Amino acid sequence: MRKPRVRRATVVAAVLGLVVAVSAACGSGDGSGDGSGASEGGVTTLTFAASTFGDPGRGPQLEEWLEKFNASQDEIRVEAASIPYPTFGQTVLTQMGGGEGPDLIRFDMPEFEAAADAGLLAPLDDLIDVSRYDLLEQPDRFMVHDGVRHGIIFEASNYAMFYNADLIPEPPTTYEEFFATAQSLTSGDVFGLAFRHTEAEEAGVWQDIFNYVYGFGGAWSDGENLTINKPENLRGLQAYKDLYDANVIPRGADAATFRRMFAEGKVGMELNNGGYATHLRAESPELNFSVAPIPFPVRSQGAILAPIVINEASEAKEEAATFIEWALQPENQTSLQEILGASSVATATERTPESLSELPFLPVFDELTESSLPQIVLGFEAQTPDIRKIVVQNVIAALQGQVDLETALNNAQEQATDLVG
Amino acid sequence: MTVLEKTRAPQSPAGRGRRSALGSSWTPYLFLAPAALFIALFQAVPLAQEVYLSFTRTSLLNPSRSTWVGLDNYARIFADDGFHRTLLITLIYVVACVVGSVGAGLLVALLLNRGFRGRGVVRALVTVPWAAPGIAVALIATWMLNPQYGIVNRFLDAIGLGVPGGAILDSPTYALPAILVTTVWQLFPLTSVVLLSALQAVPKDLTEAAIMDGAGRWWTFRAVTWQVIKPTVGLLALLMTIWSIRRFELIWLMTKGGPVGATETLVIDLYAQAFDSKQLGTAAAIGMVGVVISLIVIAGSRFVARGAAKEELR
Repeated sequence: MRKPRVRRATVVAAVLGLVVAVSAACGSGDGSGDGSGASEGGVTTLTFAASTFGDPGRGPQLEEWLEKFNASQDEIRVEAASIPYPTFGQTVLTQMGGGEGPDLIRFDMPEFEAAADAGLLAPLDDLIDVSRYDLLEQPDRFMVHDGVRHGIIFEASNYAMFYNADLIPEPPTTYEEFFATAQSLTSGDVFGLAFRHTEAEEAGVWQDIFNYVYGFGGAWSDGENLTINKPENLRGLQAYKDLYDANVIPRGADAATFRRMFAEGKVGMELNNGGYATHLRAESPELNFSVAPIPFPVRSQGAILAPIVINEASEAKEEAATFIEWALQPENQTSLQEILGASSVATATERTPESLSELPFLPVFDELTESSLPQIVLGFEAQTPDIRKIVVQNVIAALQGQVDLETALNNAQEQATDLVG
Repeated sequence: MTVLEKTRAPQSPAGRGRRSALGSSWTPYLFLAPAALFIALFQAVPLAQEVYLSFTRTSLLNPSRSTWVGLDNYARIFADDGFHRTLLITLIYVVACVVGSVGAGLLVALLLNRGFRGRGVVRALVTVPWAAPGIAVALIATWMLNPQYGIVNRFLDAIGLGVPGGAILDSPTYALPAILVTTVWQLFPLTSVVLLSALQAVPKDLTEAAIMDGAGRWWTFRAVTWQVIKPTVGLLALLMTIWSIRRFELIWLMTKGGPVGATETLVIDLYAQAFDSKQLGTAAAIGMVGVVISLIVIAGSRFVARGAAKEELR
């Protein structure tokens, strides 16, 4: 018969064993997390995260493009990680904040700025010699912070006006014509226009109102101070609200819904970026649509700038830089350009006759590059997501009639100024 | 010799040995250890971390670099009118969910407790909303409320009660009621099933005696049925309260707390602070407010239950 002390020791040992087992289970990382640049059999595998990999039009082609890189390498392999657009920034930034995350990331500008400001991105100056490449100057200038380069443009996509050419033979060229066209087309379950206007699509609303603000000569800042309530912004956002009040948009419809309506011929016009053209052509080949510059008083509109960056936590930064340098080679830029359609890439490329034949309006997007701006608050880049939240909430409060637009912008100015200090 | 001792089976020597080993004073601790360890690892440690976080300024992007700010986060959230509105919306949401789900559950349970043909099938069908995942419920509700294609708008328009513009979830007036109806629709099957089992424990002879004494349906329910099911209703109300305080996915998927904060409850605010604004310290402070509210609810319910028990003893 065992003595009580022995039994006690057995129980204590069992409990300790359980503690050790649970602790080991909790802490067991094999180091092959997303951002580790896992190496096996002499091949370093990198993860490249982008929301566009999930795009039904472009995703499969982008993965083929990656396979071209993989075929050209013996020691590096890049694998695509598709994360849905609505949660992309949040998912990846949360991983990166914890010292994890993919090795290569295609960010949108607000998240790019936030990550750069937090020191989560690897400086590229010592990894990539950009002087060897003919980078497009206008979008590329946003890739450098205080002399330190944090990204290379992967995709630059300017905003323009998409219209259903069957419903609108001649596109409007002024805001008044734009308004009148939207009104005349709206009847029954057909709407003249569509844009995002709900808080559930905060980032999308910000992208849409950006075109109205800058298209009417406004700006969110002068580079040093916030100018959310400046008169030009009020005029632009009043134009946006007038369209909302005129019931020419399908109220309550989210982007997925009204884009499906556009594809079905139930929406006449929408402002969108070049990436949408390829998507539309792939998803709705029968749709007769075309593109024209946004018909607002000032030729200034938003652009989706999507840099490719290297995670500071990656253990394979040099391998990641090798991939970016491969992507910057002229033939790979051209093939990327072909996949992205109406978007631009990091360097100047020639459109092929096949592309121009399939999407004859491509030059419209190219001509807008010099007048397009990323949808960030200049001078307050890293705080853009917070300022965006404040502005969008106040503008929606005005749309809902809870407050007049001028007061809403004054409130937004005050709240955002408090935020940035 | 007691009755138990008389009826106990004779023990074999081996059996005695086993009982002796299991009878050690350490044995209860051994059995409790896994659960205690689980609670310590996955609840106590995170809770302690949350308490600490709530006194710091910590960014989601750099969680290792935090600054001790004392009660600043608490002072800031309580000085914010938006947070007061969030507390009010949480209160409205919780009260309406509890009253709605328990009330609807009780009505359905009373109906299902009566004999009718096909009762088994109806009982099974009633549980469907509870069995559906929250995400599916939210997506179905959002689709039904879609202003362009949703059946709800078509129906409301047909009977002349259409919402202007048709966007129910986009309206500060109608968004919260729409979420409440969806929540109650998802919850009432659980309450009805639990209450149905409680109703079946009501002694028939008592209800028959009450009826023979001339009590009407209402008085029979009040004097007999309610007295039996009251503890179950109390427990359900407590569970519904705590679940409603922490409900996230349904509200987030349907409105993300909008429009203009009209459906922003504590948990939605917490999530927005942590992952949109990336302010973990502020989010932790909001979380602690939620924990305190939950503790008050639990303490309150225990107080009420104890009072009721004393009343019964008298």
